[in-house]
Amino acid sequence: MTPILELDDVRKHYSVGGGFARRGASVRAVDGVSLRLERGETLGLVGESGCGKSTLARTLVLLEKPDSGEVRFDGRPVSVTDAATLRRGVQIVFQDPYTSLPPHMKVRRIIAEPLMIHRIASGAELRARVDGLIADVGLPAAVADKLPGQLSGGQRQRVSIARALALEPSLLIADESVSALDVSVQAQILNLLNGLRERHGLTLLFVSHDIGVVTYVSQRIAVMYLGKIVEMGPAADVYGQPMHPYTRALMAAVPSLERRGRERIVVRGDPPDPKHPPPGCAFHPRCPMAQDLCRAESPPVLEWLPGRHVACHFALGGESYGRSTE
Amino acid sequence: MLRRKAAIVGLGGIGLLVFVAVTAPWIAPYEPAAQDLANVLAPPVWDGGDWAYPLGTDALGRDVLSRMIYGARSSVLISACAMLIGATLGLVTGLIAGFFGGLADTLIMRLGDVQLALPFILIAIVILGMMTERSPVHLIVVLGIPAWIVYARVVRARTLAEREQDYVRAAETIGARPLRRMLRYVLPQVRSVMPAIALIDLSHLVVMESTLSFLGFGLTSPHVSWGQILADGRQNMVVSPWLPVLPGVAIMLTVLCINLAVEGMRAQVEPRRRWWSTRWRRLGPRETQPGASALSATSAGPATASTPSAVSVPGDVLLDVRGLCVEFPAADGRVVQAVRGVSFTVGRGKILGIVGESGSGKSVTSYALLRLLSAPGRVSAGSAVFDGVDLLGVPERSMRRIRGRRIGMIFQNPVGSLNPVLTVGYQMVEAIRTHRDIDRRTAVEISDRVFRDVGFADPAHVMKQYPFRLSGGQNQRVMIAMTMAIEPELLLADEPTTALDVTTQAQVLDQLRRVRDEHGTSIVIISHDIGLIGEISDDVVVMYAGEVCESGPTEQVLREPRHPYTQALLESVPRPETGVTSLLRSIPGELPDPAQESTGCPFAPRCTSAMDVCRTHRPQPLTVSPAWTAACHLYTEERTEATRR
Repeated sequence: MTPILELDDVRKHYSVGGGFARRGASVRAVDGVSLRLERGETLGLVGESGCGKSTLARTLVLLEKPDSGEVRFDGRPVSVTDAATLRRGVQIVFQDPYTSLPPHMKVRRIIAEPLMIHRIASGAELRARVDGLIADVGLPAAVADKLPGQLSGGQRQRVSIARALALEPSLLIADESVSALDVSVQAQILNLLNGLRERHGLTLLFVSHDIGVVTYVSQRIAVMYLGKIVEMGPAADVYGQPMHPYTRALMAAVPSLERRGRERIVVRGDPPDPKHPPPGCAFHPRCPMAQDLCRAESPPVLEWLPGRHVACHFALGGESYGRSTE
Repeated sequence: MLRRKAAIVGLGGIGLLVFVAVTAPWIAPYEPAAQDLANVLAPPVWDGGDWAYPLGTDALGRDVLSRMIYGARSSVLISACAMLIGATLGLVTGLIAGFFGGLADTLIMRLGDVQLALPFILIAIVILGMMTERSPVHLIVVLGIPAWIVYARVVRARTLAEREQDYVRAAETIGARPLRRMLRYVLPQVRSVMPAIALIDLSHLVVMESTLSFLGFGLTSPHVSWGQILADGRQNMVVSPWLPVLPGVAIMLTVLCINLAVEGMRAQVEPRRRWWSTRWRRLGPRETQPGASALSATSAGPATASTPSAVSVPGDVLLDVRGLCVEFPAADGRVVQAVRGVSFTVGRGKILGIVGESGSGKSVTSYALLRLLSAPGRVSAGSAVFDGVDLLGVPERSMRRIRGRRIGMIFQNPVGSLNPVLTVGYQMVEAIRTHRDIDRRTAVEISDRVFRDVGFADPAHVMKQYPFRLSGGQNQRVMIAMTMAIEPELLLADEPTTALDVTTQAQVLDQLRRVRDEHGTSIVIISHDIGLIGEISDDVVVMYAGEVCESGPTEQVLREPRHPYTQALLESVPRPETGVTSLLRSIPGELPDPAQESTGCPFAPRCTSAMDVCRTHRPQPLTVSPAWTAACHLYTEERTEATRR
């Protein structure tokens, strides 16, 4: 079976800071990303702010156009597929439930919009389908006639999900979809997404900065740093035995009761300025195990163990350095 | 109130004018051009004239009242139609320019620039001067078309902002074409700016129309205009001074009424806080930043408070908060209780964590302790004894000496806490010298040391930077360094790492721990992240809807939570090791609505172990073990006798 989504060396650069008589620098938001999503799986894309994960997500729903590389949806390159087909296949749920719904439209209308645009249903059928979607995302039928401003954050995010599901997509992208919610409500939405994936046979691309959330919902994880995927593999393996030092640092940084009083590997400093990425491996200035090789040469993504792709010169050689993390 | 009255007067005036304009043929006693040559320049009634011509007649024996009425008709017709043309053109062009940008934007806006550079009135005179007969239609076109640019500029700016909103992007992803996005999504948001501009434009058009008529380039006979009457009257000013005065007053009143209406409309769109009014009753809860986010507790009587630390000898206790209540009067006269009887103590050299979701009142508590609650919020009960001083009772002067010097603060948004136009080093030195009596050199040395302490390799370089040149994590470290330099006894940190990335957050937490370890500073850290609180704090206070559910030593409370809310909160955090197969525990329902009153336990509607008593009676804090209390009826039955004080 062909993978539902394949990315082949996708790049997206922005020019920023250009002004009067001054040339702007180029930011490599997405810098050569290759990955594949199998049908029905959940891939978690994790990284800190500015690592390019949201840009990548936006590329997949045609909000951004990649500068180079190829995106194949269902085996067909996106560049030759018509937009309507693609839109029906791939949908996205945004981060902020307070800005992602049009404030002047009633919930019924918001969810009906995609069905009307693609002329899928009208009249009584439209009404029935909208009611079905509202029930599907666990909202009471009464919200249909409310405005987004009358709903809570969790309810709004459910409306967003219902709108995305209206077109019956096969791939759903959740771009930080639970980050703005309170923990108790966040858990509701995570469970809802998991339930929907099972019921509708959805494939999920779950984008988040929270490695705990990502590991919880995903079968596979991809970790991004400065526009590149630095580690990718089955969630349990990556969590149990992270191979890239950045993944290790990311996990060690998550605070928890269990970590009380224990020493942790803390990476020093801040992520580098994406306008002036360091030479060699982008992580080397913060890496506790950086060598001369790391400063000179950017490590390629290699399959070090079956199913484990890591971009580190010392992915296995790291054994002797800091495996004692957890 | 004054503004509302003014708006009513303004709208009433406009209404009257429109009524007169519409009914002119019926209410005017004569035809505007009808001449009575026997009564030339008859005086108005107050000047000895008779009631046949209440406002007198002009040099050609025409009734002035009728002419004024028909003048109003022309004025209203021309300015209203011109306004509609201008508004329509402006809305369309502004929307197109803002939404599509690029070439369309450049063309439209450059055209507008060119038009604004030309002297409008001269061009209007040239065009109108070429015609011998001028009807209202000519004036409408000449006045209306150039008015577009005023609308276009505002609409374009609004569209540019609206276009970048997530909901417009979302519309794109569901397949809405540009035209649909523009008309169905952006337009409804943008058009709200139109009425105010339209009214301002209207008053401008009334004046322009009169000006043109006065100069002789306006309506030609048989049409009547106020400007015309003014011009005619001017020639007989010596004999009949009322002739030019009447149309002048009419024009002035019209413009005044329109401006009053605009003022009133603005007041509705952008409610302004009145600087002269300290009476909070008039202010709604929306204006209560920064406490507004936490403003969602049900209003009910303050609950009696717990005193969690029975073991702490008073000498160990730096801050003792008892029964703190904070209320926010709402616009409709009700009072919203944001914090209801919160008690906790902070030991010397200890870290206390306050954890809760939005609306739990955790941030409001910290603002209340520092007396930084913004109006109309106020502390209605309780005490907060800091080293023998009640923070809530001391005069503001003494409070200023405590705040900053003895109690340091770190807020969620570090960039907003620093002045953007001063360098970090300057602010640092100023802060140190404000609170410590030392000279500049020493202050610089101290800054250098603390900057190194928080992990800046090159303090001299950092001190020369402006806050916006540094990242969020760096700014937060600057804030911590500032606090360390001042060496307060207590540090209040309100969501200090929420805006930061995890790896940066870990560094900031390490710094906070070092501040405590090296300087013995007590820290109150407020967060929504129970993991963070679990890792860093010695004691924890769990808050829900303005009340303390559970408090005690972190190790005990978070390992064996007693309150169902603490349990649920811990279980709703995804733990990677459990994997996707297990269903994440989620708390059903939503956070309580601050508008609704509740008599029972605030958590009862979402609690899986809720009993009947939970819905009717508010649970009292019960001692689980010496320093550990939980406010839940589950533990009431067995322990009532033993623990009730």
